[in-house]
Amino acid sequence: MPETSNNNLGTQSVTLFATCMIDQMAPTVGESTVEVLEHLGLQVKFVDQQTCCGQPAFNSGFRSESLPVAQRFLELFEAVDGPIIVPSGSCAAMVRNFYTDLFRDDQSLVERANTLNERLYEFTEFIDRFFGSDAIAGSCDDRVTYHKCCHLLREIGIDEQPLEMLSNIDGLEMTPMNRADVCCGFGGAFSVKMPDISSAILEEKLDNIEATKANRVVAGDIGCIYQIEGGLRRRGSTIRVLHLAEILSESIRNRKTGKATE
Amino acid sequence: MADKVSFIKQVTKALGRTNITRPKDNYDTAIFEDRNLARANAAQAVADANSMAASLIDQMVQSADDAGWKVHRTDNYEESAELIVGICKDHNAKSVLRSAHSVLTDIPIDRALAASGTVLEVTEHSSQSSNRHIEKSKAAAFNADVGITGVDYAIAETGTVVLHPRAGVSRLLSLAPPTHIAVLRPGDVLASLDELFAIQRDDFLNGKLQGSMNLISGPSKTADIEGTTVTGIHGPLEVHLIVIENNKY
Amino acid sequence: MKPLTINFRSKAAQTIGDEQVQNSLEHVYTGFYQGRINAASDTPNWEELRTKGKAIKDHTIAHLDHYLDMFSEKVEQSGGTVFFADNAEEARQYITELAKDRDIETVIKSKSMVSEEMSLAENMNDSGFETIETDLGEYIIQLAGETPYHLIAPAVHKSRKDVAELLDEDFTDGDRVPDATELTMLAREQLRDVFARADMSVTGVNFAVAESGSIVLVTNEGNGRMSTSVPRIHVAVMGMEKIVPSIQDLSTMLRILIRSATGQRISTYVTMVNGPKTPDEEEGPEEFHVVIMNNGRLKLLKDPLLRESLNCIRCGACLNACPVYRKVGGHAYGWVYPGPIGAIVTPVITGLKDATNLPAASSLCGACHEACPVKINIPRMLLELRHKTAEGLSDPDERTSKFVERAIWKTWRIGMMGRGRFDWGARLAYLFMRPFSINGWIKKAPPPISGWTVSRDFPLIAGKSLKYRLKHRHKKEI
Repeated sequence: MPETSNNNLGTQSVTLFATCMIDQMAPTVGESTVEVLEHLGLQVKFVDQQTCCGQPAFNSGFRSESLPVAQRFLELFEAVDGPIIVPSGSCAAMVRNFYTDLFRDDQSLVERANTLNERLYEFTEFIDRFFGSDAIAGSCDDRVTYHKCCHLLREIGIDEQPLEMLSNIDGLEMTPMNRADVCCGFGGAFSVKMPDISSAILEEKLDNIEATKANRVVAGDIGCIYQIEGGLRRRGSTIRVLHLAEILSESIRNRKTGKATE
Repeated sequence: MADKVSFIKQVTKALGRTNITRPKDNYDTAIFEDRNLARANAAQAVADANSMAASLIDQMVQSADDAGWKVHRTDNYEESAELIVGICKDHNAKSVLRSAHSVLTDIPIDRALAASGTVLEVTEHSSQSSNRHIEKSKAAAFNADVGITGVDYAIAETGTVVLHPRAGVSRLLSLAPPTHIAVLRPGDVLASLDELFAIQRDDFLNGKLQGSMNLISGPSKTADIEGTTVTGIHGPLEVHLIVIENNKY
Repeated sequence: MKPLTINFRSKAAQTIGDEQVQNSLEHVYTGFYQGRINAASDTPNWEELRTKGKAIKDHTIAHLDHYLDMFSEKVEQSGGTVFFADNAEEARQYITELAKDRDIETVIKSKSMVSEEMSLAENMNDSGFETIETDLGEYIIQLAGETPYHLIAPAVHKSRKDVAELLDEDFTDGDRVPDATELTMLAREQLRDVFARADMSVTGVNFAVAESGSIVLVTNEGNGRMSTSVPRIHVAVMGMEKIVPSIQDLSTMLRILIRSATGQRISTYVTMVNGPKTPDEEEGPEEFHVVIMNNGRLKLLKDPLLRESLNCIRCGACLNACPVYRKVGGHAYGWVYPGPIGAIVTPVITGLKDATNLPAASSLCGACHEACPVKINIPRMLLELRHKTAEGLSDPDERTSKFVERAIWKTWRIGMMGRGRFDWGARLAYLFMRPFSINGWIKKAPPPISGWTVSRDFPLIAGKSLKYRLKHRHKKEI
């Protein structure tokens, strides 16, 4: 049963841009995102035709391949009203900060992107801005640490907010990670193009994670999540990595079912 | 080979222009501040150095200490001379070189040093700037155990002593000897780098900019071996700041 | 210096595998990076200073012709000589000819990245002038016959033992390794003699002030001051971008440079030279020469998308912040300027074709942009260079992408242009990958993602997309 919304949003309806990776590789993250938004009293729409924002090709330099995909994204989401929620710092940054460069030969596209960006939010940013970082209460008996994904931190500006949200979850023990704001080495195609370097950066991150003695790592971007979890699994570690939306929805569910301590 | 004109022409072209165009006023850089404003800024800096002398000295002492100066506070000239002699004795100094700053003749340092048996030399410009004179001056600095100077300014923000090399204030005096002692009086201390460069700019606009300037903030140091900070690589291993808090006696 | 950017991958791998160098590189984070963070947080108006610094540099570079003209005129008015060099060769020749003409025997060099572009010390030694690097780090590097590893910490990769072997001929393997102080004192002694007899110096320039024709040097060791005090002739070499308009701009620029470089509030020495020795001075250089060098910088200036890289004040903060630099080290970048800023200026100056890997070697984490005292948006320029190497639209010669890579991205685009294909493609990949997976993870993946599984398990595609799952979801009460 959705709670009554008490927001300053002026609408009860939002649209999810799942991102291509969450859509096809981590749909449970997408479901969690929907659950959390619904818990906040929102109705979540899904644009059926959505695929990708164009970031992978753009970051690899193939702008002429990226351009039509980005333009397609723009057209699809222009057609729906209301806030667009992206559960990825990286994809939100692509649309918000890099479309200007991608579209620079066509100023009308730049302007359209600017208009769209007025109502596009990264998931954490959206909750923090319109509901507050204390909007979600829940419970979860676990010891977790938080990794600050680079684009969420530096391109979107979400720094301590996720930690504040996690501090509202009963039973959750937060253990701070050394160098939490240092990159995990993912970097999209970089991770397969330069695996030596990407892995060397990852190893340092994994050492810092293991030193926290946490059972789980929370992060805000699926690419980083797979990079870190893939590395942990290769090490034989039992530490698992999850998206902020996943731990929030899990905690909400725990609270409802009385599974964890109150 | 590129001559100036063709070199700059390439720059103009790269900027997408055909001629050098004068920039429009842009107050992000101080170059557009006019002479009157520069004069007012410099006058304010000097006035503040005097009116706030006591608090600026306190700040200076703190930040100089942070920067690695060994700071000695005193309120009279006699004691400051004794402090200097004490430092020279601690280092078993045979040869001491001092600048011609007036503070060093106001305090009875020559007499005190002579009494302690140290050889004291004063860097003074001989009227003929011969190569021989330059070589002599260099040798004196490299052979001295202690160099003593006044300060032309000090900067409270950073714990900095400012020296303008000139006749009587040699470049090497505060650099080559293993120990440098600087003597500071109230009114010498400026609040920050802003005030120092405001004064420099005003001097420049009045055609009075000196040949060079050194900002000295502590002993010479390096961290080039395994990141370990070591004091005393090319300049002094030890620097002392004598702060005379009251010069009207 | 001959560019070796083409060896990036092998050099990087070599450094990643070198445990001792990896340990040394730790200091880049714990010392320099943390130092800057602390200095910035101790400076209440830090962001304001960065904004101002950026504005000063933006303005100066946008009017570089005007300010170069003004600067050179002022240097000459105060009795100095200016030489404009189109390239490193011209600059080197000018300095060497000057040394010959003035019967120079010993040249002392202060740290200068521009002089590294000309391999100046090496060349002058070959021409018969005793040329000694006097910055301790550079001295160590010179003895080792290497090139600097870092913009401000050239020998950061050397251990005490390495240094002992270089400084002390008698040092043998079994000896106790001297501590940093002992080694520094040994170098002090060796270099003192050199200073005393030097008759010419070559220094870099941290800032060149247009209105007064001054140059400013920032050092901690005092070699910059020795260089501007002892020799008869002082030659200052600078890249043409080093200008600031006004004397008063120095307070902002010094504050951000020094805090960003070492975390200090100020360096031990800041030296401002306004011309040759004045007639009534005790000592000091009688001749003051400034060499202003282009050496490929025009290419950066010409391109509005890369011009911002000329705002760089060479503090090294982006290197210290960069997770890639901290693993691959300075030599991998193959030329004078390593790290994130090097990944932009090096390819443009030395040729993008051999240096394709430099802009590619970045996770685009943005730590460099965050650290830069003049807010240079380095990731954005890395993306511009990647665009050039991928597609070569503005210059086909710059395209280095392989056919396979281009085919992959073309296929990717086709797959992303419709939801049906997107789902179909994912389904196909799922069916193909599933047999190789255990509990949803794959230990060894085929190309093009084989690189991933060298060190990480790869997640299996979900099989059912989010779209499908949302459609078929029973409204769970939560």
